[in-house]
Amino acid sequence: MSTEVEIKSFIVRNFAPDVPPDQLEPDLNLLDSGVVDSLGLLRLIAWVGERFDIAVEEADISPDNFRSVDAIAAFVADARRNSEVAR
Amino acid sequence: MRWNDDQQALHDAITELGDLLSENRAERDAAAVFPRANWDRVRATGLLGLPFPDRWGGLDQDLLTTMYVLEGLGHSCRDSGLSFSVSTHMVSVGVPLLRFGSAALKERYLPKVCDGSAIGAHAITEPDNGSDIMGMRTTAVRDGDEYVLTGGKTFVSNAPVADLFVVYARTGKAGSPNAITAFLVERDTPGLSVGTPIGKMGLRTSPFSEVSLDGCRVPATNRIGGEGAGFLVLDHVMKWEILCSFIINVGEMQHRLERCVEYATTREQFGQPIGSYQSVSNRIVDMKIAVETSRKWLYDTADKLQRGENVTTDIAIAKLTASEGNVSSALAAVQIFGGYGYTTEYGIEQGLRDAVGGTIYSGTSDVQRQRIARMLGI
Ligand SMILES: Cc1cc2nc3c(=O)[nH]c(=O)nc-3n(C[C@H](O)[C@H](O)[C@H](O)COP(=O)(O)OP(=O)(O)OC[C@H]3O[C@@H](n4cnc5c(N)ncnc54)[C@H](O)[C@@H]3O)c2cc1C
Repeated sequence: MSTEVEIKSFIVRNFAPDVPPDQLEPDLNLLDSGVVDSLGLLRLIAWVGERFDIAVEEADISPDNFRSVDAIAAFVADARRNSEVAR
Repeated sequence: MRWNDDQQALHDAITELGDLLSENRAERDAAAVFPRANWDRVRATGLLGLPFPDRWGGLDQDLLTTMYVLEGLGHSCRDSGLSFSVSTHMVSVGVPLLRFGSAALKERYLPKVCDGSAIGAHAITEPDNGSDIMGMRTTAVRDGDEYVLTGGKTFVSNAPVADLFVVYARTGKAGSPNAITAFLVERDTPGLSVGTPIGKMGLRTSPFSEVSLDGCRVPATNRIGGEGAGFLVLDHVMKWEILCSFIINVGEMQHRLERCVEYATTREQFGQPIGSYQSVSNRIVDMKIAVETSRKWLYDTADKLQRGENVTTDIAIAKLTASEGNVSSALAAVQIFGGYGYTTEYGIEQGLRDAVGGTIYSGTSDVQRQRIARMLGI
């Protein structure tokens, strides 16, 4: 499963159960549209950190990193690249 | 936990001050005045700069050491209001600045936070929006190089004596998690006014009041973190607030437990020490369980946080455990001391009044339960 698909299915399962995953636009602003509220954001951050093995320090700097499926996927890719470089 | 000699020395420096900080506690509690002279005594120990780097005058200690010293403060100091003001000062301004502030903001303000020459406070709660933080109505509107802040905050601890405020205001769509931004505002900024202290049940030597923002112009350079990052700034600050203020409560609970053991073994009724009655000793056992459980949760959560792990659920459990444990331990102590526990002279009733606030600030018990439920996917 690609990162985008995995992120989409987590969001749909947890925050928008009525939406078929393929209908969730990857650039939809999840925060401003009300799909993900403040506690939802904390849950999303925790899941991303755990699922993709990203340190929370990096993850909690900006909610912008979590505003859409695209943004989260880009954030995950960046964090993975950085941890490769660090190794 | 095992502490090394340096950590022990920092801990002892504050506990040695405890008796002095506790003098005339009942009178100060009744008068509800901030103990400025004792604040200066705490300042002189360097405690206020514990978790901050030495380049800004801090003691460069990690979170766990900071908590250990604060636990010592709670154990030795009977003025819980003063201890609460100390932790509020440390976490409200210094913690967000250190983590999210620009280099210039750190350079300008952290030295004053570390030496306590400027007292810190944070303004989040509003008269109509407490638990519902995301519904806050105070706005910050960008105007060139400034933001204009308009609205009203309440229950701001330290506000009547504070010099620096971190104000959280709305910069985006109401309800959105990226709609809030944090600003550092100096007390004498035109448009910021501080109300008179609001009378309260406990923690009476730690004054709180309203803070009004009436077209208050703040330089954009005083923004802490990015625009819209305020909710996550606050989340980070709340973790520190919970760990630092409730470890003080653990010290207080430990002290209360020791007093109850002493009392139960010396106070006699029906020809026997009251501790020989199981209903009394069981209360003391429950107090012991509450303090040990709270201590474990707080240090374990701090350790995880320090290792970069996600503690969103842990922090809520730690807060619930410690705040509710403190209230039940304080109520048990009143009962163990009987009529004496109810008098102001013994200070046991003050412990109960002081403890209740902990189930409200930093997110009420209901809100913590809601948070845990959401993390479980409910
Ligand atoms: C000693 C003390 C110090 C404080 N210091 C500060 C400070 O320094 N800065 C600051 O900004 N604020 C401070 N506060 C304010 C504190 O953060 C708020 O009081 C708290 O967040 C609750 O908000 P509220 O008082 O508006 O209560 P409300 O939010 O109106 O809650 C009332 C009741 O409804 C319950 N409730 C609300 N929403 C829900 C829900 N969704 N689910 C279940 N139950 C719910 C609550 O648990 C509570 O029992 C302080 C408060 C105290 C007592």
